[in-house]
Amino acid sequence: MLLVFFSFQGKRAAKDEASQVRVWIVGLGLIFPMVVLAALLAYGLVVGERLLPREGANVVSVHAQARRWEWTFTYDDASEQETKGTLHIPAGRPVNVAITTTDVIHSFWVPRLAGKLDAIPGRTNILRIEADSPGTYEGTSAEFSGAGYDGFTFQVIAHDPTQWDAFLKGELNEGS
Amino acid sequence: MKDLLRILIAPLMWLALFSAVYGLHGLLCNLGITSTALGFPLPRILLVVAYVIAIALQGMLLLLLYHPRIAARSPFVRHVSHVTGWTGLVATGWTLLPVVLMSNCT
Amino acid sequence: MKALERHRKLTAIWASEPGIRGWFSTVNHTDLGRMFLVTAFFCFMVGGLLSMLIRAQLATPHSAFAGPEIYNQIFTMHGTIMMFLFAIPTFEGLAIYLLPKMLGTRDLAFPRLTAYGYWCYFFGGAMLIFSMLFGIAPDGGWFMYPPLSNAIYSPGINTDFWLIGITFVEISAIAAAVELTVSILKYRAPGMSLDKMPIFAWYALVTALMILTGFPPLILGSVLLEVERVFGLPFFQADLGGDSLLWQHLFWLFGHPEVYIIFLPAAGIVSTVLPVMCRTTLLGHGWIIAAAVALAFLSFGLWVHHMFTTGIPHMGLAFFSAASTLVAVPTGVQIFAWIGTMWKGRPELHLPMLHILGFFVTFVIGGLTGVMVAVVPFDWQAHDTAFITAHLHYVLFGGFVFPIFAGVYYWLPHFTGRRRFFHLGELAFALVFIGFHVTFLAMHWVGLLGQRRRISTYAPEDGWTTINLISSIGSFILAIGIAMILIDVILHALTASRGRRNPWRASTLEWAMMTPAPAYNVASLPHISSRDPLADDPDLAVRLARGKGYLGDPGKGWRETLTVDIASGRPDMHVIYPANTRLPILMSAVTGVFFLSLLLKFYWTVPLAILGVAALAWKWVWGLGLRDDPGMQPIGHGIELPNAAAVERSPGWWGTVFLLTANATFFGSLLFGFAFLWTVAPGWPPPVWFAASPFALSIGLFGALIGPIAMRLAVRKNRRGGSAVPAFVVAFLAALVLTISCSTMMLRTPAPSDHAYGATLFVLGGYGVFHAALAALMICFLVARVLHGFTSPARRAELPIVGLWVDYASIIGVIVLISGHLPGLVL
Ligand code: HEM
Ligand SMILES: [Cu+2]
Repeated sequence: MLLVFFSFQGKRAAKDEASQVRVWIVGLGLIFPMVVLAALLAYGLVVGERLLPREGANVVSVHAQARRWEWTFTYDDASEQETKGTLHIPAGRPVNVAITTTDVIHSFWVPRLAGKLDAIPGRTNILRIEADSPGTYEGTSAEFSGAGYDGFTFQVIAHDPTQWDAFLKGELNEGS
Repeated sequence: MKDLLRILIAPLMWLALFSAVYGLHGLLCNLGITSTALGFPLPRILLVVAYVIAIALQGMLLLLLYHPRIAARSPFVRHVSHVTGWTGLVATGWTLLPVVLMSNCT
Repeated sequence: MKALERHRKLTAIWASEPGIRGWFSTVNHTDLGRMFLVTAFFCFMVGGLLSMLIRAQLATPHSAFAGPEIYNQIFTMHGTIMMFLFAIPTFEGLAIYLLPKMLGTRDLAFPRLTAYGYWCYFFGGAMLIFSMLFGIAPDGGWFMYPPLSNAIYSPGINTDFWLIGITFVEISAIAAAVELTVSILKYRAPGMSLDKMPIFAWYALVTALMILTGFPPLILGSVLLEVERVFGLPFFQADLGGDSLLWQHLFWLFGHPEVYIIFLPAAGIVSTVLPVMCRTTLLGHGWIIAAAVALAFLSFGLWVHHMFTTGIPHMGLAFFSAASTLVAVPTGVQIFAWIGTMWKGRPELHLPMLHILGFFVTFVIGGLTGVMVAVVPFDWQAHDTAFITAHLHYVLFGGFVFPIFAGVYYWLPHFTGRRRFFHLGELAFALVFIGFHVTFLAMHWVGLLGQRRRISTYAPEDGWTTINLISSIGSFILAIGIAMILIDVILHALTASRGRRNPWRASTLEWAMMTPAPAYNVASLPHISSRDPLADDPDLAVRLARGKGYLGDPGKGWRETLTVDIASGRPDMHVIYPANTRLPILMSAVTGVFFLSLLLKFYWTVPLAILGVAALAWKWVWGLGLRDDPGMQPIGHGIELPNAAAVERSPGWWGTVFLLTANATFFGSLLFGFAFLWTVAPGWPPPVWFAASPFALSIGLFGALIGPIAMRLAVRKNRRGGSAVPAFVVAFLAALVLTISCSTMMLRTPAPSDHAYGATLFVLGGYGVFHAALAALMICFLVARVLHGFTSPARRAELPIVGLWVDYASIIGVIVLISGHLPGLVL
């Protein structure tokens, strides 16, 4: 931007065209962006690798099934539990959310916990989320799904270990 | 038409190679091959080999574009075709680099 | 002959019919370019009005202005109109208007095709806009993801309007792209070799080639989705072997290149206007062309970055993330070449220059946010929020609308022949610039706060109220600015005083003529010996008007021009254009009947419309024939050229090559879809495979082999003065056999509505049938030509054209048959 501005200022003795090409195009146009972009790309890929849902002993598995316009959540650790509109997870433990849909494409997004991942018909996508501390986190579906899309939201409640046990045993009476 | 081809061929080749390697990657993931060779997973080896071949092909093409018998007669077309030739080579090296770096199929 | 007399004679030859009647029968590129531009700007106004409605709705929380049903139509139509009815046609119009003038010739390659393209655009656009007036406009977002857009979740006619209307408009884009490609490659002034070609022509060439390869995937996607909606062939239904991701691949295979199809012409304007404003030449001409080519190709390797959140394996994402960052490099090269140009010259702050500066600032910011979203983890957060909407407007508005405004102000004296008198433009620019940035900076911000795109309303608790209000206020400032530009332009056209020729002291050929441009452009064609013809020879215009160039003698009463060798610019053919006709509008109206019948499900008019199109097409090409051998034609300066009817590689041949390029991309996308479903879709393998028939396969392959051979024999026979009819008969029978083989495949395929496998084979077979039957029809045409005495050893141009179609039908026929029969034989 500054360069554009300065081009209006007084003119120095004109250099020959070839050296100008070298400065502007090869230097500023090719080398400079390539260096910056390579760094950025490497950073992005490394972070992306770290976010992948790797296996681990401690991982909790839950299922999120989308339907216009409601999420239904089920839990591997408590097969009789089924909650609508609210997902319960333990705080401080990695959680794999298996995302599916029964109708159109939706997207599972809890901005404070992770990026978004789509629910695609016929597929199961797995998203790794983790809440550092107990609390309530707002989530939305982030893929346009027709007339009820505005209000298509849900909540994630992260519990401390005792509450989580209570939830798994079906003894937690708020939510669901 | 030949001059136009000289300008377009290298990036065209990149596009073909890029799609081919991406397709290979998709295919390998869907076949779910888990065997290993020489201590490395087989899909990884195949992808890296494809990567090397792709770079070699682009490099050869670039050499051809510089070759006096094949290069364009007009200096202008020669210049442009050299730049696009380099583009093809750099693009192949850059965009397919993930096959050596990234974890597969996750 | 005096210049004035020559002007009168040429005008009599080239002019359109007077008054309104002329609009319907004109085939002149100046008229059609203007019509394209005016229609496109009308659509810009409609799209802009819709965006005002969007911003009015979002200005306050719990807005009761429009319910979601209406709101969904509004933003879908805003995106659709801006992308398909404004941006692409604006490029087409500008290129159609300018290119022949810049290239120093009289018209585009296929004048009637220009008109056909315009009318397809007009009727298709009208369909979409009418649907809006009746409240049944498309409402699934501008990328129409199935299953949301399939017959179950969008049962109304809304989606059909989109699929059918857009396909209709795409026809016009393909037509214009074929036209522009051939025109740039062949229809130039003598001496204009590739290196002397103006930079705008290079950009237009690259863009046209991108349209030819970028649009077919979307056309295919639309056809498949419409077929799924109407006949229940499950291409995108996961439980029946389809896959909704296939649509996303096809759509973005088009959608990302589309962004560059929009940006590149704008960059061409900048590269043309900027050096003139800086009183210098473009820095790094060759580098810029190479960068444009690189950009064009790289942009075809990016499409998956719109699908980062669909759960594609991380390595796959990494490929596309890498490509998406790399694409910034050629963009950077161009930007720095422009800045370098400014340093090299002495920039003057005329109005076009202001818009170019607006472009720089806006586009660079858009590029930076673009690099941000190319980084996968960032995109996982930003995807489908207002941040993306803001980013895409920085790119589209910055990268297209500002340069277009610069171009409008730059060429306005050329359009009207007048000097600017009122100076509203500067104020208008300030409003547009400020309004734009207020609107969309605010949208970046609210997107980062988590506001999703495409929501019709939000709650006060979300905390987005103030920012949205600021954004809406900004958008109204922007709207006032644009309205002022419109008023400025209209005032200019109506009132300003006559200006002098070449007011910017530019060096390109479009300024070497009277303004407004006469119907014939130049009274004689110049000989070009440098990239800046007007800088070398400021009196060129006068000499051309005096008939000192080529083809300066209007005595024969023909609309004539010449073509050149692609690389060297040596003249190689003499061309006579067809005159004014209503055939194009008629043909596009009948094409419209075809699409409308599909839309309204009047299936009995569909075959009638197809027959109508075929009959008109027959009439169209029939009219081009010559009864006698054209001798060598003198073009002045002692040069004689063969007529286009008397060569192997006629303009029609070149046009066919590029049309088939687009067609092959379509077919390639279909094969890609087949392979994709087969390997990636859930629900495979299908319950039953196609029962292969070695007999049907082998007669089909036999026909595919014989056809091209017979056509080659026919060409040879005709050249030697013999009768080509026997060879034609053989070729016809071969095409017929191929047709039959493909149609048995179509009929015997496992129930197409049960599984995507059968559905894909059905479509593949249909594609084969269509092309084989088309080839057969064309051979019939040639036979009729021979019988009516339209061919001779000299008049041979039509044979190789049909030869191309026969070759093409054979190649795709073989692929179709093999992909149908082989699995059954092997598995
Ligand atoms: C005239 C000034 C413009 C304003 C104030 C404006 C405003 C907007 C807004 C607020 C949205 C978001 C709708 C939503 O997410 O709910 C939007 C979407 C969009 N705009 Fe614009 N826009 C303008 C010009 C343009 C131009 C010039 C283009 C293209 C050349 C364009 C292309 C789009 C597209 C493709 C979408 C996405 C539609 C969708 O989500 O389906 N806009 N616009
Ligand atoms: Cu993109």
